[in-house]
Amino acid sequence: MSTTALPAAAARDKRISWSWLGVLPFIAFTVLFLLLPAANLIVGAFQDASGAFTLKNIVNLGQPTIVRSYMLSLQISAASAAAGVFLGFLLALAVIHGMLPRWVRPTLMTFSGVASQFAGVPLAFAFLATLGRTGLVTAILMTLFDFNIYRAGFNLLSFLGLTLTYLYFQIPLMVLVITPALDGLKREWREAASTLGATGSQYWRMVALPILWPPMLGAFLLLFANAFGAIATAYALTGSSFNLITILLYAQIRGDALHDPNLGYALALGMILITGVSNGAYIWLASRSARWIR
Amino acid sequence: MKTNGMRLTVSVLALVASGSMALADSMDDLVAAAKKEGQLTTIALPHDWCGYGDVIAGFKAKYGIEVNELNPDAGSADEIEAIKANKGNTGPQAPDVIDVGLSFGPSAKAEGLLQPYKVSTWDTIPDSAKDAEGYWYGDYYGVMSFMVNKDLVKTVPSDWADLLSDEYANSVALAGAPQTANQAIQGVFAAGLSAAKGDVAKAGEEGLKFFAELNKKGNFVPVTGKSASLAQGTTPIIIAWDYNALSWRDVLAGNPPAEVVIPKTGVVAGVYVQAISAYAPHPNAAKLWMEYLYSDEGQLGWLKGYCHPIRFNDLAKNGKIPQELLDKLPPAAAYEKAIFPTLEQQAAAKEVIAKQWNDVVGAEVAK
Amino acid sequence: MKQSRIIPWIGFGLGALYFLIPLIATFEFSMRMERGTYSFKAYRIVFADPGFQSSFAYSAVIAVLTIIVGVALVVPTAYLVQLKLPRLRPVVEFLTLLPLVIPAIVIVFGYLRMYNSSSILPLTGSARGTDLLLIFAYVMLSLPYMYRSVDTALRTIDIRTLTEAAQSLGSSWPRIMLQVILPNVRVGVLSGAFLTFAIVIGEFTMASLLNRPAFGPYMQLIGANRAYEPAALAIIAFAVTWACMGLIQLVANLSPGSKR
Repeated sequence: MSTTALPAAAARDKRISWSWLGVLPFIAFTVLFLLLPAANLIVGAFQDASGAFTLKNIVNLGQPTIVRSYMLSLQISAASAAAGVFLGFLLALAVIHGMLPRWVRPTLMTFSGVASQFAGVPLAFAFLATLGRTGLVTAILMTLFDFNIYRAGFNLLSFLGLTLTYLYFQIPLMVLVITPALDGLKREWREAASTLGATGSQYWRMVALPILWPPMLGAFLLLFANAFGAIATAYALTGSSFNLITILLYAQIRGDALHDPNLGYALALGMILITGVSNGAYIWLASRSARWIR
Repeated sequence: MKTNGMRLTVSVLALVASGSMALADSMDDLVAAAKKEGQLTTIALPHDWCGYGDVIAGFKAKYGIEVNELNPDAGSADEIEAIKANKGNTGPQAPDVIDVGLSFGPSAKAEGLLQPYKVSTWDTIPDSAKDAEGYWYGDYYGVMSFMVNKDLVKTVPSDWADLLSDEYANSVALAGAPQTANQAIQGVFAAGLSAAKGDVAKAGEEGLKFFAELNKKGNFVPVTGKSASLAQGTTPIIIAWDYNALSWRDVLAGNPPAEVVIPKTGVVAGVYVQAISAYAPHPNAAKLWMEYLYSDEGQLGWLKGYCHPIRFNDLAKNGKIPQELLDKLPPAAAYEKAIFPTLEQQAAAKEVIAKQWNDVVGAEVAK
Repeated sequence: MKQSRIIPWIGFGLGALYFLIPLIATFEFSMRMERGTYSFKAYRIVFADPGFQSSFAYSAVIAVLTIIVGVALVVPTAYLVQLKLPRLRPVVEFLTLLPLVIPAIVIVFGYLRMYNSSSILPLTGSARGTDLLLIFAYVMLSLPYMYRSVDTALRTIDIRTLTEAAQSLGSSWPRIMLQVILPNVRVGVLSGAFLTFAIVIGEFTMASLLNRPAFGPYMQLIGANRAYEPAALAIIAFAVTWACMGLIQLVANLSPGSKR
């Protein structure tokens, strides 16, 4: 018995060590081109201007301004990620399973590719030119329908406005990332379910959503991190009114006024930790839902 | 007696002649050494900023040395970081020379990132704008001004207090975010200086109060003002350095027509400084570049870009400035009231403005 | 059945409106360069610049190389993590999210410190070496998107059965990867490729500080302090990038083994 069990275990170990060899290029790459270059950041967070070890930067993270800054960034990221996941899902669903003409899907995919990176000054400008006080849509609504959106309370330079702007790259990102999962949702399943007497909502609740839940969660995490780290759009649009954590970071590391890079590194370290925590939450949630899929 | 005097004169003359010949020799040596290096690497020099496009072209044409321009979008902090990150690098990513805000000069010197060099026109640079040992030296300055879109704004404001008027609702913007950009902070500082009637110590606080008021009245637009947003209409009045405003006005070429106004009170001058990196891969090209910038030709090149070169007074005194150039600038009277804050005053104001902006002005009101 | 045809059209229509209107507004502004009339003057200025073609071509080539390296790196890793090393998943996922929150400027300064001409790996010492460094930088930047797309695609196919079937037929690992797994995650790879291409074309900070003649620095040089040209350039860059993606899609559809 033991003589036959040993080779099997050894074979299993050998296969797993080959697997480790298989992920070695990835590990080496991230170490060489992501972790080590960024190591300066982690080391710098614990240094002061002269290079001596200090916890002052970390302690300073507890300042009310900085805490509020983190909260604001978390709120914007969560809002744009949630809306992006929801709206992007509906859009992808409409295009992939909505039986639209054949040219619609590749058009949406390629457009989403471009739009997902359309951020920063051009995006801020585009939205100012559309929904700003002197924007195209604002003007059209006023001349055609005598409806002044600003008098009605809308303001592009607000939480809502910034979220709306962020959605321009969040929705395409969601579309691109969820498409493979929606592709895997075979039409046969829908037909089989309706043959067995399931209604539309039952199909969604018991067949489609359980399968889509993990990739949607993963997409939410990606969109969240994407918005969390976004700087250029926020700076161009609401730079002096929205105290996002990336703007604060920008001020310390790149700005030509304050320039306390060590505090900037500490801010970045905080961002990395928050990303790690949200990733952990995602893993936990995904594993719980995965239990009742298999 | 007479022969002795004659001998003295001749020997003095000979000494002077040899001295200036030595200077000419060293200049020729420098040119030769720079040409041998063949390249100069600059950073953070947008072509529209102080006419750098023409200045660089002039340098290239005069000495035939390649100019490799890095990241024109870099801020002063990026330039310092670039020197630090390229310490062991002799490749084309390492900047030879930097052009940074005044406060970055001493801090870069303290970190050992600069090497000293005194240009031949060193003595004509005002003492307050240079490091005594030659590590950094002021290159140009401008004053804070208003840029006004005449299509959208009927009455052009002439002073800071005018901006609070009701007719400028949703009109006034800074050229950056006050937490990050020096230009924005100096704008707030200038407003404060006007409100504090010249008391530099109170200018920071008064500036914040002014902008809080501006925001409350609904006149302040928290968007970063640029020529594009001015033309599009989001920011019809931008508070920016006069050289930026004037070059934007030229680029727009009347579409829309813009006017640049130096406010009656609260005229703040911002000085930038040049320095050579201690790790410059092409030190001789760097020194030759400095000689060129501080020669009459280089200084007038900046003036063409609407920046006041640091040797402005010296040039004016010697009648070296062409009248057409002077005519294109705002009236000289406006500059006479300019205040040059010292390093300490600037640092104190920055502390106040950058750190307290969010609390005092806190345009987070728009939720 | 007919009713459910309208809803997807409405959804698509609303989406199209949301995405196209800001572009139209930008386009309308870019046409206003000549006072009083609409004209293509800003576009003429942009196209007249010789740097446009050369910098776009450079970035496009770098983008394609980045996609290839990225796919070669991510697909085996995502596959192995899903199949054999599930406990590594949290680590790998965390690593792939880091490029989104670590500022690019910190990374590129790190590269300059680590790979400059006097280090063990003097990548910045030569133009080709710096190109390689730039490609690695872009692979790193596009890692979040590429990994998420490929991972999602891998989940929808049963890689365990596919692998065992291929192995029982005597296939070697490279063959399994190239001819069994890769064609089945085509959609995910394509999504990742689109995202990577767009990132590389528009990227500015790294290309600029590593001193390479890419499209991002070119756009910055043209648009810096102008009003109308940047808007024109944004529209042009959008259109040309979109066209390139259409090309990538075409190539992917024409290669053997594609279902669509």
